[in-house]
Amino acid sequence: MQEQSDEALMARVAAGDEAAFRILARRHVPRAIALARRVLRNSAEAEDVAQDAMLRVWTNAPRWRPIASFRTWLTRIVVNLCIDRQRRVSWLGIEAAGDVADPAPDAAARRETSDTARLIDEAIAELPVRQRTAIVLTYREGMSNAQTAEVLESSVAAVETLLVRAKQTLRAKLGPLFDKS
Amino acid sequence: MTDKLDALLKNHLAAGADDPGSAQRVLTALAAPLPRQRGAWRRLPGALLDWQFAPAWPRVAVLAACAGIGFVVGLGSMDYFDGTPSPFASAAASDVTALFEPEPVTGARP
Repeated sequence: MQEQSDEALMARVAAGDEAAFRILARRHVPRAIALARRVLRNSAEAEDVAQDAMLRVWTNAPRWRPIASFRTWLTRIVVNLCIDRQRRVSWLGIEAAGDVADPAPDAAARRETSDTARLIDEAIAELPVRQRTAIVLTYREGMSNAQTAEVLESSVAAVETLLVRAKQTLRAKLGPLFDKS
Repeated sequence: MTDKLDALLKNHLAAGADDPGSAQRVLTALAAPLPRQRGAWRRLPGALLDWQFAPAWPRVAVLAACAGIGFVVGLGSMDYFDGTPSPFASAAASDVTALFEPEPVTGARP
């Protein structure tokens, strides 16, 4: 049986089809969690964001119009939720942000035992949230500048600026890695 | 150096392992009853357009049969209206008479 496209499934979800929603969720939740984890640097928060994003997909499905692809729409929801949470956490202060961290060692944490990986992760984590999001969308999701601009609800020129600034910062912080190689 | 940075970022970010446990937890949470959808009334026009209004012929046949039976029964009941007063009408008339009877002691009429 041929697999239905995301857009076809969304049309069914818009008609209140819960089975279609579950198929979409199985298809996109892992990617949404990975994206949120990369932006938020917190597994528990990333799970919350993914769940919240999928619930928004369900509740707003009747109003969805297939102008953009479903993947872009979902990415935009996830990114907006991440940016909202990041701003809320920075408003509360670093102590409050530290309390919600998941202490359980997950797959991502195990991978970061490598010093190099940790160094890169820290450098990315220190970027402003929009620059970090642009980096993650470009290098992890493989999105073009136009797609990243659509997700960030910004212009292509603004995305290019974000990427240039982010890479300048990363280059300055990761200089020793390049010297080593 | 930019190429090196690009390659480094691409390899590092792409290598992020997905945690199947996380996805399973979220999917389990989503298995709970879902909230009500917003703007669900917008699908009403579509539902009406999809509605099959054309009647099926057995239903038309049943409707015609019912109409025919109703016509025949109606014709057969016509002799009830042959000029004899209806029992309901006479009962109503006696009620009116009782209502306007003179008062037995004083003989006054209402």
